[in-house]
Parts: sequence; C-alpha cells; structure tokens
Amino acid sequence: MTSFQGTPTYPDHAWHGNATVLENVQIARATFRIRLASPPLAERIVPGQFLMLRLPRRDDPLLGRPLALYAVVPDASGRPHAVDVVYLIIGRMTSRLREVPAGAKLDVWGPLGNGFPPDEAEHLVMVAGGIGQTPFLSLGREFLGMQRYGKPPRAVPVAKKATLCYGARSAEFLAGVSDFEAAGIEVHLATDDGSRGHRGLVTDLIAPLVAKSPWPCRIVCCGPEPMIAATARIAQRLAIPCQVSLETPMACGIGACFSCVARIRDESGNWDYRRTCVEGPVFDAQHVVFDNEELGAPSAREAE
Amino acid sequence: MVQLAVQLGRLRLRNPIVVASGTFGYAREMTGFVDVGRLGAILPKTITRHPRPGNPPPRTCETAAGMLNAIGLDNDGIDAFLTRQMPYLAGLEPAIIVSIAGRTEEEFVEMARLLDAADGADAIELNISCPNVSGGVDFGTDPARCERVVSGCRKACKLPILAKLTPNVTDLARVAKAAENGGADALSLVNTCLGMAIDWRHRRPRLGNVLGGLSGPAIKPIALRAVFQVARAVAIPIMGIGGIATIDDVMEFLVAGATAVQIGTANFYNPTVTMRLLDELPEALAQLGAAGVSDVVGTLEVP
Repeated sequence: MTSFQGTPTYPDHAWHGNATVLENVQIARATFRIRLASPPLAERIVPGQFLMLRLPRRDDPLLGRPLALYAVVPDASGRPHAVDVVYLIIGRMTSRLREVPAGAKLDVWGPLGNGFPPDEAEHLVMVAGGIGQTPFLSLGREFLGMQRYGKPPRAVPVAKKATLCYGARSAEFLAGVSDFEAAGIEVHLATDDGSRGHRGLVTDLIAPLVAKSPWPCRIVCCGPEPMIAATARIAQRLAIPCQVSLETPMACGIGACFSCVARIRDESGNWDYRRTCVEGPVFDAQHVVFDNEELGAPSAREAE
Repeated sequence: MVQLAVQLGRLRLRNPIVVASGTFGYAREMTGFVDVGRLGAILPKTITRHPRPGNPPPRTCETAAGMLNAIGLDNDGIDAFLTRQMPYLAGLEPAIIVSIAGRTEEEFVEMARLLDAADGADAIELNISCPNVSGGVDFGTDPARCERVVSGCRKACKLPILAKLTPNVTDLARVAKAAENGGADALSLVNTCLGMAIDWRHRRPRLGNVLGGLSGPAIKPIALRAVFQVARAVAIPIMGIGGIATIDDVMEFLVAGATAVQIGTANFYNPTVTMRLLDELPEALAQLGAAGVSDVVGTLEVP
C-alpha cells in the first residue's frame, strides 16, 4: 500500500468481472448489506479501499457506484472468498440493487483507492456519520489483530483499543452495531433525535473520549462533509493525528475521468483539485480544504 | 486473417479501437485493468499550454443512459505532460495521439510545435470542441477559425493532425470541410453534446459549471448521424466517437463511414470494454465477408 499523501498510484492488477451475489439483506432502515463472491477481490482489498458495482447489461443507470469494503468473508478453509459492502437506498441504482436476489451476478471492479494507512494507533478512534461506518468494521478488526487484509497480508501494529463513535438520524438507521460489538470494538452512539445513545452530534463524543483514554489516540473519520470537517477541527485542537475518507461523486472510480476531485493542500499550503479515487479516498485531515474555508488561489495554476 | 490496420491520412493504426481523450486518464490509470498495448491508439487527457485547475465540483452527473461532464480541462499543462507522462506513453505499443486545447490559435500552434520537437507523439488531436471552457468551442463552431487553427498547426509541425469537432453546430459538414481545407489528416466526430441537469427542489444546477457535455449511449444516434453526414461531405477519414460500447456500435460507425472508433464513456462503466471489442472485432468483420476494416468503412446502403 502507498501513502494517502503520495503521488497517484494505480493498481498493478485489479479485478473486473461478474460477481455472484451470495446475500443481499436489510440490516437497518433503508440500509442493506450485499455479499459478493470474488476471491481475487477479497484477497487483495484492504480497509478503506472500495469497489465499483454496477447492474450488468443495462444502460440505465449507466455508471457504477463506489462502495467501501465492509468485511472480507473467508471460505470454509479460511481463505478470502467474498466481500461485503453496505449501501443506503438513495437513488435509482440503489433502489434496483435492493431487488437483486442471491445467485444474481453484478458487474464489479476493484479494489480501488488507497486504504487507511497501517500507522501506529494505540487507541484507534473511528468517527462515523450516516453510512460512514462501513469502512470501519474491517479496519477495527485489522487493528485489533483479528483479521489481516491484502496480498500479501499487510502488517498493522496492534492497537490496545478500538472505539467507534457512530451517529445517525435515529436508532432505526444505525446499521451493523452488533457486528462492531462482536469484533470487540467499543461503540458510542449518537442520534439526532436521541432515540439511541447521545442526543446530538457524533462529534460531541470525540473530545471526552480522547480525554479519558489512557493511550495516545488516532482518529479516522468517514461521513458527511460537515461532520468530517468538524472532526478534523477537533483533532487539530487536540493535536492528534486524523485521517478522513472522503466521498465525492465518481463516474469511474479508477482515475480516468477526473470527476471526483476534492481540494487538497500540498506541503507548501497551496491547494489543488485531487482525485479522491486514486489519490484518496483517505487523506490526512489537515490536507483537506473543507467547503467553508477560505480558498485562496489554487497552487501553480492559472485562474479559470 | 482479417486485416485490422487502418490508415487515417498519414497516421497508420494497427487496429481501429482507440480510447477517447479524457476517458482513459494518461493510460497508466488503466493498466491494472487492460492490456493497453493492444489498443490501436491512445488519446491521453487533453492538455493545455498552461496548467488548469479545472471546474469546481460536482463535475459529472448521471443522466438517462448517459452522463454530463464539466471537468474543465483539469491538467498540469504541456510542460508537465512532456516530462511526467510522455516518457511512459512513448514506450507503449499503440500510437499516441496527443489531444491539445488552446485558448488562442497561437497556443494551439505553440503546443503543436512543442509536441513536434519532443519525442513520443504519433499525431495530434486538436480539441476545438470542449464545451466546458471559454474559448474552447469557438474554433469548432466558426468554419473560418477552424480552418485557420488547423492550417496553423499543420504548418507548425510534421505530425498528422486530427480535428475533433463539436456536434453543437447547425452545419457540421461546413466545419468539417473547413478542417479538411486547413489540412487535417482526419476528423474525430463527435465531442459531447451540450446539456444540463437541474435539482429542482433546491433550484440548483447539478453541475458546478452549470452546463456540461452529454456523453454515453444517449448520444450514439447523434454521433452516428454526424459521421454519416460528414463522411459524404469530406474526403478525409473519420474517427467515430459517441456512446460506443458494444461491437454492434463499432460496426455501425464503420458502416456509417468511420475508419476507426474512439471508446469514451464506456471506459468509465466498463473498464475492460476495449479488450472485449478487440476480441470481437475480427468475427464481426468476417460476418460481412470483409478481408479488412477498410472493406466495411462507409458501406451503408441507403435505399
């Protein structure tokens, strides 16, 4: 794996093919987990990476959809066999996806993007909002030493503790909480309506958690941009490392189209549009220029 | 054995399956998926004289059987292209057709000169049809300016010149003839169709640039019509572009009058599409009893 800060990197060998759907089950309100049989994908993908998924033999909806790795599922002999991804019903494609039965085939390509870096984290604090919890089940399992990912399996220093701070609109949207608990991940919940956990923002949970932790913390974050921006500010204030996984609208997922750009700062503080798919989706929080920030001029680029 | 090689003016390609500019990155992005060495030619993403940040996001939006894009020629400029991308591209087997866009005739000519002086380019495609930058499309809508920019580039360099035209004009054949008069070796037809998408609940355009270019299967009939009409109006060969995704699409464009085809948006939703087309092409040509691609080009029978 390469650094999220590095130059664009492309997979030497990615998989594109028809994956058989093994399961497609509802796990929360408007939220489904789909299991796709693909040993080549399952053995290569690491936490934070994603795949593109498309309904085959149709021109409408046309484009694939990027979905983050939720879990790698082994076969009876323990070898990586299938991948789970979790999706929220949002539009035309996901509405059709929920109807796809087990046994059907979907067009899939990946693994794509750069995963979360396997940096030291004595206490890994995973902050998620909306559907942003999906990359963190595999990451938590990896950092707790329960499962290894990648080919060859990447080495990750084992954390003393992994915590998920997870916020959603209401309790019925919280998806996969028992999966996280079963993995030994401590879960703190927040809902907008207070139907479960803290009533309010998930970001309210971060500072008290870090203050109480006996270990140095590292934050990883995924969710709606305002929540990511707030988390990044908190991490900066607490002076703890923070990586964020950005979700930007993508057409290809493989670096070809230049659609999915985000404003990323370089070392000198200038920003440029960078492709989330191949240069991210995981970035250091301090490098991301969020929407409400003063922009200034892009680096070394003329104005439009 | 079916003959796959095609001739586009002074440019010879070993097969007619080409990837369109802006849909294949700088080729490196695609090496994990396809054997790029098998392609007839590669068109890297359009470069400009100076770096451009591109348009603010959202830059793309899916539409019915298609997509809108307003990337805005996000690129690092020709100098960075020549040092960072060209050495890799030059080492590949397929022809490298470098797509360039200038804001002025002088910028086009200067880039043509720079590419001529550098190693690696086998031809130049003049992107005089990008709808997403101001100045980009003017050369493709005004026949006189089109002819001037083509002839200026032709004089400035020895490389074969292709002119990529916009369908967003009343009389495409007239612009095509102007490019031919200017000395183009071939024409690339067509760039995207200008369009837009709206989120009415928020009364907002769905693209950061408000307007964008429509591509994908939705525009195939428009592109096919353009190739058919222009093929009857000019003597130079045509590269067909617009919603090509299947071998049937490829054959339709060849029969309509295209000598080669560029695969664009299909690379986004089917990254291995070009390999499949290359596998299927000989059989499709054989179905028409053709000994080579040229035997089917422009063979449409109109009752």
